Amino acid sequence: MTFSDDRPTMIEFKDVHKYYGDYHALRGINGTIKAGEFFSLLGPSGCGKTTLLRTIAGFEDISSGVIMIDGKDMAGVAANVRPTNMVFQSYAIFPHMSVEENVGFGLRKDPRSKEEKAKAVAEALEMVGLKGFGKRAAHALSGGQRQRVALARALILKPKVLLLDEPLSALDKKMREHMQVELIKLQRQVGITFILVTHDQEEALVMSDRIAVMFEGEIAQLADPETLYRRPATRKVADFIGTMNFIPAEILSEAGDKVEVNAKGLGHVALDIAQAPEKTGEAPVVGLRPETLTLLYDDQKAPERETDGVIDEVIYFGDMTYYDVYLGGTDVEVRLSMRNVPGRPVLDVGTKVRVAWSPSALVLFR
Amino acid sequence: MAQTPGSEARTGLKLISPTAIYVILLLAVPLATVLMYSVMTGGRGNVSLPLTFENYTELASKSVYGYLLLKSLMVALIVTAITVLLAYPVAYFVSFHVKPERKSLWLFLITIPFWTSYIIRVSLWFVILGYDGVLDKTLMALGIMDTQLNFSSYGIPAIIFVLAHAYAPFAVLPIFVSLEKVDRSLLEAGQDLGESRWVTFLRVTLPLSMPGVIAAALIVFIPTVGDYVTPKLVGDGKQPLIANFIETQLLKLQDFPQGSAFAVVSMLMVAFVSVLFVLANKRFIGGQK
Repeated sequence: MTFSDDRPTMIEFKDVHKYYGDYHALRGINGTIKAGEFFSLLGPSGCGKTTLLRTIAGFEDISSGVIMIDGKDMAGVAANVRPTNMVFQSYAIFPHMSVEENVGFGLRKDPRSKEEKAKAVAEALEMVGLKGFGKRAAHALSGGQRQRVALARALILKPKVLLLDEPLSALDKKMREHMQVELIKLQRQVGITFILVTHDQEEALVMSDRIAVMFEGEIAQLADPETLYRRPATRKVADFIGTMNFIPAEILSEAGDKVEVNAKGLGHVALDIAQAPEKTGEAPVVGLRPETLTLLYDDQKAPERETDGVIDEVIYFGDMTYYDVYLGGTDVEVRLSMRNVPGRPVLDVGTKVRVAWSPSALVLFR
Repeated sequence: MAQTPGSEARTGLKLISPTAIYVILLLAVPLATVLMYSVMTGGRGNVSLPLTFENYTELASKSVYGYLLLKSLMVALIVTAITVLLAYPVAYFVSFHVKPERKSLWLFLITIPFWTSYIIRVSLWFVILGYDGVLDKTLMALGIMDTQLNFSSYGIPAIIFVLAHAYAPFAVLPIFVSLEKVDRSLLEAGQDLGESRWVTFLRVTLPLSMPGVIAAALIVFIPTVGDYVTPKLVGDGKQPLIANFIETQLLKLQDFPQGSAFAVVSMLMVAFVSVLFVLANKRFIGGQK
């Protein structure tokens, strides 16, 4: 995916640090967010993602470093004059106002006539699917409706950047999945840069053009979803995004663009240097996603490599079955996923199986 | 054991009976007595039949009574306004600028004046404001004044001053509570949507804290209308308000029916103004959860 490569820069972080007393909340953030991008800040709670978002909005000062928005240094620029608007986690809908008063809140200084403003409010409500809700009291809305009001209230001001602080976390699963798609559509429609804070890796993968994965105040990896999933930069990132099997390995040789390893249960594998991100000094392991491992039925042949195994656990999901398999007579257990298609029975615990895999799907962490 | 609805109701009555007896004896019976006295014929120190509305027509016929009522009402409203206006910044400061772990300490400090009896506090004001009192002596010693100011002889202003001081903590607490309930992210939202802190205060914080402001106004207004001690001790007693007049009628002249009628009229007046406050409160509460 090259979506973001040729876009102009909207936000730039240069060595941003933030301290709360002794606590080092942001530890040297660098990176750029492109104009029109759907960008996510992903990480576990306490990783600094919300703090970073709030420094963009201007609710938090930074201790050192520079934040540029649209080419302007934001040092000393108050939140109310920044070209950003925020959808708060709690939505922050004004409870003493109607829906249209909420949506029109930021238009007070707008030079347009009263009628034109009312029209803009109606249009904004229509855009988020709340046509005709203008007169309702804010407190009479459901969670999903509140969120739409918060979106309309921010988008009506045509900000350069829309900041979304875990906007979907308060919704139930169905509504959340629905709103994910709606948000993507909305972002394409308005073309505004969206920055989403989330702890839900699936949500980040579904929605984003690019994702910054954060741990402990630092960006561990900044990449598009596919790269993040297929080529995680560290074991920690790999563990945080989706499921990954880690298999202890031994590095046999490293020459040019080839790395040769001996992975327990898999045997000798030659990897491309692209499969081995920068050294972090941990004990070497190779990572494999469950869907890159396949059970072979009857006389099926593995296209590349195959390894014997024994099924230790079967987890049935309806459309999918997860198998935990001991590889090649070792104590290395991997999880693999199989789609339940006709003619492919679900196997029992203890069945001896053959597992197909591809060296190109491996990632080496060392 | 299964209970029939009837026995359940009896158990319920038994359970609330101490409270019910308390309310009936101490609130309902005295009130009913006053209401009854107000329509009876009075002699000195006794009441008798026949029932009559003469006590009320007497009140309506003389403008001096109306003036007295109006004066008490105005004093109470001015005291209320001053108290609420002064209490708001205090409550705001404690709610928004005091660290959460220090808030209860601040509230505790605000209640300190209550540790002293109200009557003693009012008497002390007399010592401070009265002829040759602390204020006058200080002003003269500093050479700012060369005659006695004797502020407490100013009557109404002195009464207002003392009452506003006495009721200030009452007003701080409800306003503080309503400010505490304001979701802080709403204030960030206000600024995020382009408003300064001050305009955000006017458009968000102030309207959301109005229920507290109105509660504070009621809490101050109701007792100040009927305040008896302050006009008696401060202002040289030359400015009697409703309560002082009722006292004169009931205790000095022993005209129970006339005093009761005046008490009923003043109760109705307080009730009327209170209903206005409550209606105003509904307008703000109506829009929120």
